[in-house]
Amino acid sequence: MKGRLTAYAGYQLRDYFVTRALPTLVVSGLVAWGLAAARGVTLSDLDLTGGIDARGRIQQTFELLLAAFAFVAGAVAAHGVVSHHRTRGYDRLVFSRPISAVRYYTQGFVLAGIGAVVLGTVGAEVYAVAVHPVWLPGVAEYVALAWLLIGGLAFLLSTVTAFYLPILALVLAADLALDHFAAALSEAGAGAVTAAVQLLLPPAHVLVTLRGAFARGLPIDPRAIAWPAGFGAACIVVAMVLLRRRPFRS
Amino acid sequence: MSTASDAGPAGAGGSVAGAVIELSHVSKTFAPRSASPVRALDDVSFRVAAGEVAGISGPEGAGKSTLLAIAAGHQRPSSGSVRIDGIEPRRFVEREGIAYLPQPLTLPGGWRVSDALTRLAVLSGVRPTYTRHRVEAAMRELGLYDDRRLRVRSLKGDARVRLGLAQAIVADHRVILLDEPLEGMSAGSLDRLRELIVRLRAFDRAILIASRDTAELQRLTDRVTLIDRGRTRRPGAARRATPADVEGVFHITLHHGGEHVLAVFPTAISLGRSTYAVRVTGFAALNRGLRDLLDRGALLASVTPAHAAVDANALALNEVEM
Repeated sequence: MKGRLTAYAGYQLRDYFVTRALPTLVVSGLVAWGLAAARGVTLSDLDLTGGIDARGRIQQTFELLLAAFAFVAGAVAAHGVVSHHRTRGYDRLVFSRPISAVRYYTQGFVLAGIGAVVLGTVGAEVYAVAVHPVWLPGVAEYVALAWLLIGGLAFLLSTVTAFYLPILALVLAADLALDHFAAALSEAGAGAVTAAVQLLLPPAHVLVTLRGAFARGLPIDPRAIAWPAGFGAACIVVAMVLLRRRPFRS
Repeated sequence: MSTASDAGPAGAGGSVAGAVIELSHVSKTFAPRSASPVRALDDVSFRVAAGEVAGISGPEGAGKSTLLAIAAGHQRPSSGSVRIDGIEPRRFVEREGIAYLPQPLTLPGGWRVSDALTRLAVLSGVRPTYTRHRVEAAMRELGLYDDRRLRVRSLKGDARVRLGLAQAIVADHRVILLDEPLEGMSAGSLDRLRELIVRLRAFDRAILIASRDTAELQRLTDRVTLIDRGRTRRPGAARRATPADVEGVFHITLHHGGEHVLAVFPTAISLGRSTYAVRVTGFAALNRGLRDLLDRGALLASVTPAHAAVDANALALNEVEM
């Protein structure tokens, strides 16, 4: 008898929308609001009846929201899939069934990614109808790329530690900070070291930079997305190998 | 070596004919970072044959759950070998699956009872056309049908253990591992479990039950093996009470009519779960008292000697060691 993992996909997708969709929207909204406030954007600046400047600020705020959503959705896509499942002890019951732990977890992670893309695209569609047109395939691709990079790293970290979220936040913050101070560090003669460290860190700064191009449907150099996509894919492969070797917490 | 099988020691390598579950010289040491290593199992050999219902009993922390977790492929032994149907447990589980009741039972609290069983039936590979029927049958058999819409977190009393048993039997598996299925069970649920074990017994199926309740385990299983501090103590074959056992204390479990017990057995002590300890001076006195109880309208669920065969063995062994 073989377990019907494909038939179980519907439950995993439902679990994503029931338990993680709302927290993803709320947290990404708060993060975007914080970032916008830090840039001096106020509610009165987002006047739909305003001129070109106002519309430009609205579009920039949307792109900020898109980036925040993509990052949060990527991290949340891996949440509850491996680490939470193990720390609560659900793995013992589920993996007494004739199924592969690697396939079960990977399927859950992939479906969470699909859920995130659907959620992001629907949100962008609402924005496009109500406020300003956006390039929906670009939004979907951007969220998918973030899922691959941020989610892939979160997926890997969650297979090795229960404290993967703080570690993920630290690693991403380190990359963004390094990118922010890259010019200054280069002037100080640490350019080579900075570049080497950046190669080891997940290229979150590339995602941040590309948000506008994806949302506006601008042409994107495939080489620009190869690094984050490759980094994320490598994380997922390593996570699957680790899960194969150690399917349980103990 | 600590061997726990009536049929002799398991071989160090290879599978013994007829053995479905086979642990050979298994040791397991946990080495937490913040404390000294703990040896949970120490050179344990144990096997359960096809068609057999085996029990493993011992105090809390004896190593019962570790033994079952290793047999289920959830933990790897530090040394020794484990085979289920001749192959490594994890491979067997991924190929065929097992019915496993872990201790404690952990399921997402937000799942409803019927939903949880349906999910686990799907993962077990139950065909779509049979899933609903199998889930309903399991719920009815374990008395969960009226609770089918309740969320797992709101299950009261022994309903959680019954849910654990229901998920274990929702699909047909050849290997059944039940960890503390008697925990907190009411007299009625105990009856259900007894009937369930009788029904599950099959020529090609191996059932292993771990419990602290040695006496009840004797009633449920073909043989009980004692385990303490990671070592199996002595194999015990279930046997009936002999006249030599009779003079002493018996445990009487009633389905109802507990209010009459003191009138019939004035020195009876309530042990909870409708079970009473009564002291009698012989079979005749025991039967007279039981007849009196039945005449008063009580419904008897079980009568057992307080010190069952394996308990007596264990006590004797401990006395020798001390």
